Amino acid sequence: MRNSRRISIRRAAAALSLAALGAVAACSSQSTPVAAPVAKTGSSSAGHSSSGSPASANPGTGNVGAVNALIANEAPAPASAIAADAVAAKIRSSGTLVVGGVETAPLFSLLDPATGHVSGFDAGISQLLAKYITGKNSTKLVNVTADTREALLENHSVDVVVATYTITPARAKLVRFAGPYFEDGLGIAVRTGTTGITSAADLAGKTVVTESGSTIPTAVKAVAPTAKIQLFGTDAECVQALEQGRADAYVLDQGVLAGDALTNPGIKVLPAAFDEQPLGIGVPHNEPQFEAFVNTWLQKIESDGTWAKLWKATIGTAISGQTPVPPKVG
Amino acid sequence: MGARLKAAVRDERMLAPAAVAPAAAGGGGPRRGSSQHDNAVMLAALRRAIDPGPGATLFDQPGPRARRRIAIATVLALVVLGALVWAAARRFADYGQLSADKWAPFTQWPIIHYLLNGLVATLEVTVISGGIALAAGLFLALGRLSRTRLLRWPAALYVEVLRSVPLLLLIYAFLLGLPVIGLRLPLMWQLIWPIVATNSAILAEIFRAGVLSVDRGQTEAAQAIGLRYWPTMWHVVMPQAVRRVIPSLVSQVIRLLKDSTLGYVVSYQELLYAAGVLGQYNHAVLQCFLVAAFCYVIVNNILAAVARRLELRMTGSPS
Amino acid sequence: MDAVTSNVSVFLGGIAVSAEITAATFVLAFALGLLLATCRISPVLPLRAAAGLYVAVLRSIPLLVVLTLFVFGLPYVGLTYSLLWTAVTAMSLYWAAFFCEAVRSGIRSVPAGQIEAARALGFTFSQVLALVVLPQAVRVMVQPLANLLIAIVLNSSLAAAVGVTAELTGQTELLDQRYAQPLIIFGAAAVCYVALTFLIGRAAGFAERKVALH
Repeated sequence: MRNSRRISIRRAAAALSLAALGAVAACSSQSTPVAAPVAKTGSSSAGHSSSGSPASANPGTGNVGAVNALIANEAPAPASAIAADAVAAKIRSSGTLVVGGVETAPLFSLLDPATGHVSGFDAGISQLLAKYITGKNSTKLVNVTADTREALLENHSVDVVVATYTITPARAKLVRFAGPYFEDGLGIAVRTGTTGITSAADLAGKTVVTESGSTIPTAVKAVAPTAKIQLFGTDAECVQALEQGRADAYVLDQGVLAGDALTNPGIKVLPAAFDEQPLGIGVPHNEPQFEAFVNTWLQKIESDGTWAKLWKATIGTAISGQTPVPPKVG
Repeated sequence: MGARLKAAVRDERMLAPAAVAPAAAGGGGPRRGSSQHDNAVMLAALRRAIDPGPGATLFDQPGPRARRRIAIATVLALVVLGALVWAAARRFADYGQLSADKWAPFTQWPIIHYLLNGLVATLEVTVISGGIALAAGLFLALGRLSRTRLLRWPAALYVEVLRSVPLLLLIYAFLLGLPVIGLRLPLMWQLIWPIVATNSAILAEIFRAGVLSVDRGQTEAAQAIGLRYWPTMWHVVMPQAVRRVIPSLVSQVIRLLKDSTLGYVVSYQELLYAAGVLGQYNHAVLQCFLVAAFCYVIVNNILAAVARRLELRMTGSPS
Repeated sequence: MDAVTSNVSVFLGGIAVSAEITAATFVLAFALGLLLATCRISPVLPLRAAAGLYVAVLRSIPLLVVLTLFVFGLPYVGLTYSLLWTAVTAMSLYWAAFFCEAVRSGIRSVPAGQIEAARALGFTFSQVLALVVLPQAVRVMVQPLANLLIAIVLNSSLAAAVGVTAELTGQTELLDQRYAQPLIIFGAAAVCYVALTFLIGRAAGFAERKVALH
């Protein structure tokens, strides 16, 4: 009798702990709202915009309050414009813009794990576009890498890709680019205190780290053929490699490097830049009308000053000097 | 052939986290009574934890001189191990990795919540892939054991090839190759299908080993009473086979959980990936990865304990 | 098809690096595994407990976590060295736990009578191990060791995940970025891996026959 009670107590304890685990799992998954048509991935910043993240200690977020104000001011698209484009209408009716982006690029697209809020220039662009199309700041961030961007656009897992996506002719065959929305150049980052590397030509014979899947190795080889290239998968890994001495220099878009230097005092960005990196918004290849729609919107925010204000509130917090002229769209 | 497969099953256990460590003499014993059985279980577990193993026969009962030597060696070992641990902790502290601001975020609920989401995603992939891979593995094993070449050869080819290909390569192939042939998959399934592909091959081998380890006499007896091939399989062979290989199956599911860490390739937000993002945001990379490793240790050891428990219940004694 | 035929050197180079990683990992992991197995059967309790803890922990952590900790975490405590050897170290420490279990199961398979006979002849602990147990254990260990070697070969692809893109999977992925013919290129890489594992399986069968009793 005693033993059967012991066994049943043990079973009850096991059942209770399983139930507790299930409850924890349930409330974990419930608080990240799921957009039904898309698989549950990434983190959602739906509904977090107006709260904004309080004075976060991380300078990589830029001026979140100013960005939120911009988004609040953005007027939704007129109904006629939405109706004219099937894709925009679909996004409007689903209520959320599914954005392919990154989570660890300071000043461009940085996720705060504690609040789930994504901040930065790229994030701001996607949030403004979402406000324009759907009328509320409702984006769903799906994580992409240089390897997966085209595939995710092709199978329509994401509506747009805003991830410091450089426009190249080879990529233009696979996806369409709206924009360019930012003219970047390739910059060089080195460890603070390094002498001897001041321009691209000095990279000869040095170990240069960069992201895999980018067009940068060819660009570096063009200016410094004897440079040794080391590839890593994400921007954060490359920064770590540079800081830890696995590489002498890190070559990437200057804007992203500026953000990295802001949040990592161990590296600094050289003033010299080379090559041109026009950044565009990736759109699936079979949606030329949607590309035109986004281009129209880009022209609007460039002309009414929203673009400049967004730049000032994000990248502008790291780079002193004048706000650059927005690039010509198309 | 049977011996080779038995060796394979043994290997599967060996490659699994501590699922079935053979107990020293005195294992579980016959089921004398519930409380005695529970005591026997606890004793067996205790013995397994210390587990002198064959060492018990490798040397005599230590005499006075040997006892002294063992005592000296024990003290020396304690000193050396303690010094190693202290040196590691000192190194961490010197580089500021033990400072409170790096570890404090883990006491805040939003951070824990974020990591828990990653853990739930890992478990989700494990459960779904595990379920599909088990079913697929069973069918493949049956196919490989069938009498017609039409079923045997494709199944054998699939199993042999997919056991020899790395999972990372398969994930890249699915990720980059499927869109080319026009197949579109949601994110989680881009991770699940490659995991299912490799693990179903391994599980098929485990099932096949189980079936081949069932005594031939069972099949012969079934045939003697007039059962045909499939009823024999269904009613006589499979129940025994599956019961024998359940620990190996659980070990493979544990390995499947470890495979889920490759979700970063498709940017699936499982635990390791979440830890990476968190670490980069808080500039506490080492700490976040250590915490993630700790989570994996806990989860996998829970699963291993389940496997041990299952085996005890199935066979009445640890193997 | 020309993506493969004109880049055979890329595949061969990748195989060479993968083989290098595998060989180095196998040797280091085997040595460490032997040491751990000895600790686990020694009469000294702290050694037994420490080795047991090591094996239990390292078999429950995914390999990618160990690799990431070593490649991206160790530099934070000042230990930075060549990327390839960091990866090899991490993998050796991981597989050593599995080698320990293989050696232990091999030792366990030796009949107790052999050990008792050796003790009756007056052999010491180390003499019993070295002269009686291990030579016989090797016979049983060949198949599990071959399976471990195959597992190391297949998992060496994870080195590409932490930046060692010179190995086969990493090179294949870079090649695909250039040519965008995934089915052919990844198919060729798969053929390379299948060939490698087939060779290892054959060699293991040969070795097993060599040490067999009859």
